[in-house]
Amino acid sequence: MTEKIIPVHNHHHDHEGGHACMSRRQFLLAGGAMVTLAAVGELGLPGLAEAKPLHALKASYPKTKIGSLSALKNGVPVEFAYPYPDVSNILVKLGSRAGGGVGTEQDVVAFNQQCTHMGGPLQGTYKDQFQALGPCPLHLTTFDLTRHGMVISGHATESLPQIVLEVQGDDIYAVGVLGLVYGYSAMTNKRA
Amino acid sequence: MSNNERYIPADRIPLPPKDAEVFTTACDYCTIACGYKVYRWPVGKEGGPAASQNAFKADFPHQNMMTAWVSPAQYNVVSHKGKPHNVIVVPDKDATVVNVGGNHSIRGGTLGQKCYNANSPTRERLQQPMIRVNGKLTPVSWDLATEAMADISKYVLAKYGEHSWAVKMYSYQYFENTYAITKLAMTSVGTPAVAPHDKCSGTNDATGLDDAGIDSFSSCYEDWSLTEVAFLSGVDPYETKTTLFTQWMMPGNSKLIFVTPHKTMGVAWAEANNRGMWLPINLGTDSVLHMALARIVIENGWQDQEFIDKWIGKPWEIDAGYGRGTRNTGWQWRTTWGTWQSDWEDYKKFILSQEESKLDVAAQITGIPAEKIRLAAEWLAKPVNGKRPKASFMCEKGNYWSNNYMNTASFAALGLICGSGNRPGQVISRGGGHQRGWMGAGGGSGWLNPEKHPGRRKKSFNLDRWLMNGEIKFAWVFGTTWVAAMMASDALREKMQALTNGSPHQISSLDRAAIFETLKQRVDSGGIVMVDSDIYPCEPVGTDFADFVLPAATWGEDDLTRCNSERRLRLYSKFYDAPGEAKPDWWAVMKFADKMGFTVDGSYNWKSSNDVFEEAARFGRGGVLNYEPLVKTAQKKGMKGHELLRTLGTTGIQTPVRIIKGEMVGTKRLHDPTNEWGEAEDTTTQRRFLYAFNTHNGKAKLLKSPWKYAGWQQYFEAIKPRAEKNEIWVTNGRINETWQSAYDDRRKPHLHQRWPDNFIIIHPNDAKKRGIESGDWVEIVNDAVYVQTGQPQGVLDADLTFNQLMKDGHIKTTVGKFKAVAIVSDEIKEGVAKSNFNTPKSMANAVVSAVPDPMTNNYRYKLGRGTLTKVGESEYKTDLTRMSLKPRPIV
Repeated sequence: MTEKIIPVHNHHHDHEGGHACMSRRQFLLAGGAMVTLAAVGELGLPGLAEAKPLHALKASYPKTKIGSLSALKNGVPVEFAYPYPDVSNILVKLGSRAGGGVGTEQDVVAFNQQCTHMGGPLQGTYKDQFQALGPCPLHLTTFDLTRHGMVISGHATESLPQIVLEVQGDDIYAVGVLGLVYGYSAMTNKRA
Repeated sequence: MSNNERYIPADRIPLPPKDAEVFTTACDYCTIACGYKVYRWPVGKEGGPAASQNAFKADFPHQNMMTAWVSPAQYNVVSHKGKPHNVIVVPDKDATVVNVGGNHSIRGGTLGQKCYNANSPTRERLQQPMIRVNGKLTPVSWDLATEAMADISKYVLAKYGEHSWAVKMYSYQYFENTYAITKLAMTSVGTPAVAPHDKCSGTNDATGLDDAGIDSFSSCYEDWSLTEVAFLSGVDPYETKTTLFTQWMMPGNSKLIFVTPHKTMGVAWAEANNRGMWLPINLGTDSVLHMALARIVIENGWQDQEFIDKWIGKPWEIDAGYGRGTRNTGWQWRTTWGTWQSDWEDYKKFILSQEESKLDVAAQITGIPAEKIRLAAEWLAKPVNGKRPKASFMCEKGNYWSNNYMNTASFAALGLICGSGNRPGQVISRGGGHQRGWMGAGGGSGWLNPEKHPGRRKKSFNLDRWLMNGEIKFAWVFGTTWVAAMMASDALREKMQALTNGSPHQISSLDRAAIFETLKQRVDSGGIVMVDSDIYPCEPVGTDFADFVLPAATWGEDDLTRCNSERRLRLYSKFYDAPGEAKPDWWAVMKFADKMGFTVDGSYNWKSSNDVFEEAARFGRGGVLNYEPLVKTAQKKGMKGHELLRTLGTTGIQTPVRIIKGEMVGTKRLHDPTNEWGEAEDTTTQRRFLYAFNTHNGKAKLLKSPWKYAGWQQYFEAIKPRAEKNEIWVTNGRINETWQSAYDDRRKPHLHQRWPDNFIIIHPNDAKKRGIESGDWVEIVNDAVYVQTGQPQGVLDADLTFNQLMKDGHIKTTVGKFKAVAIVSDEIKEGVAKSNFNTPKSMANAVVSAVPDPMTNNYRYKLGRGTLTKVGESEYKTDLTRMSLKPRPIV
């Protein structure tokens, strides 16, 4: 396994971008258990080898404090915007270990709230019993928040974008986005 | 795709520039066939985020729901004329039919990832013809492969006859291919040994519907939005008929009655929204439920008498034999002699006299509480303020693959007495599985079948039995798993293995004469020469058994056509190069036909798929998929048939295509006298089924379904779970996120991480008794899987019943097993476990018996059984990146 750095290409870029490395995301997908960083190759982006460099992986956003561990209650989601004011996410302590989870129980996660099927609003749909978001009111997709926002049942063609979190002391910071938020063609292009 | 590969979603997708080329197509997967657009442009440029800078004419980013957006799974890089091109495959947001506004499923929504790209898991595509030399598949030329196939075929045909030359083929993978394959098999070779992907023989699907005079695809999608109450038998259309449900059934306030053992998302959603009723039925007992519902309707006088008087055949119309010729076709003898045949007065008497139609008895047999059955009957038929509800009836495989004939016969009768079958919003229909892509070339070789129903009546050819009997010498498999898809899969695989790579006669050189000598010894010693045409290595037929593996080109790689389940014909455009030397199956057939000498009369002279499309047109003339008038119209305009169809985009045209006042007209609904019929003009083929039911006199038939019919009861008793063995039902079915054997899905990173392995959904009470938790590996074993063998000729009616077959030594008892990952959830009925229906490495059909319904020669696919034993913990119990183990219905 090797570490691979993908340069970020600045297209129509009005936000802090520059170069990002994928290590944080890879660390996430390794479930936090692996120290070695896995090579991801071109799986997520077919044609990468032929196409010019793309924002294949994580763009760097300003590190933003979005909450604190002590204020979170099990199963009660908190809304926050990141990386732009109009991108609405939830921060939730699931009560069971999750992929990309932070905190002592690795159960604190954050996800975007727009369905990756056709952009339906997932606000208010968190199901604590199942650690799931949904069903989307449009076409009933549900997402497993313990498994990186994977589709449980339904029609979204991507997992729900996961907000990458870091913890410093009691503070929870958003540091990146895993995936493409509905309505975006590139996470570095802010909505007008 | 390896289970160890992790999927990292992209966070940026290039937008198509304004001058990107645009193609229309439709989804390659489920029967609904949403319309899609493909944007293609050379690698090296891209559009900008402003509406003026991209081909979508949309500003990015935006916050508008249900508008232009490209998910990473919809993007790919392909080769076009040898040069790399970006492609985006998105649901057509301009669609005015099917997926209006760009609705789509998770399957079609990831079509982009299906396209061949050497940098993605699609690198596993077959790219060259191969011959298995010393056990290893070795690339060869198309010429050598087809010449060697022809050498042994000629020998087999001369020595063993056409019966020994077999084809197992998809029935749906585009008109051009199915026409070419059937022309070869049925016309040129003339063999009866042909079976479609989903059945052991070319028999009817929902046979009771056919016999009642109802075409399984007579309705249109709009009917499901016009209906006030839908009876959904053995199906949740949300699972794999997605857009039919989300587009045409979810809006509005219709009531939805689901008869399934599995509470899937559509069921749970409808219940939670006070629109649904779940009838968790005991497997195989649908006929009893239908009869109980019919009895309540009749006892209360809720039947649609006006409709019945007008549209149901009278006794003299059934009995007279008017137009029935020799009575030597299945529907004729099934509906003419006694057991099933009925009319309104007789049906009424039958229903009121049956013990099993009594509410309390039916509740006991079906496992559905009496009050729920009564309420369902009220929803379906009780007039409100003097007005009957508009009811529609949909069935799928939970119905007709449990008890093939009786379930569909009783289902059709229930629908008919409620006044459904030929009116807007009042239809009786299948939901559909795959699309309708069969255009048979005819040749009528079925009469060569040595097997007969009692009374020496014609019977469809059972290819599985033929193989088990060792009668096949040469078999060509087109795009289907065969083994995993058929019943008693383990027994079938063992036999196939013994006759192919288990034979001592294996090809050891690429010398054509030597290949022939080896294969001659193979067939002369009882073995089979096997050919597998597919897009990926197919397990085990292609990977282990076939001597010849041929690479097929598919969706997007050639211009192809077919219809969806409302008979909507579209062009599926070619937009990129097939990988390597992969060729469409019609081309491979043509190549082989040439080597066989079948082209000397000038036939198979096809330059393009359009040539096949146009030649095939006349063979569909009398049927519901008739597109001949389109081809004739194109010819008049000096166009190719495909090109005229291309101008119709994702809208296409519903078959049968007709000409009225000089214009092409589609057919929205069959059997409906209120359709615009016009005068038969030009190339229009006017058939009675257009404006009346599909029977000899245009009237529908009511069919009886006596529960104690021996052809059913004996089998049902034999294959039920045995309490003393601690067995439960092990049924199988489709799941939303997977299409067929997952041949594409397991190479689509997003879908593969969702379902890297097969599942088995188990009720918590059943799991607890066996110490099984979600995420455990479970082995499912049935030590009595029955396989029908020999060549039983039916002379008397009882000859093909299960007990008689057993007594006569025509039933072999085998063992079947498979392994799957447990998902413990109360969404499934207690006493029933459910697995995916066609996973090659985990074959749920292995625990289902291969003894066909003696009425129809079709299997009872859904009635598996087995013991469930934990054999370890899967990695998915702790791996948080793959295979969610959550319940499916979360509302």
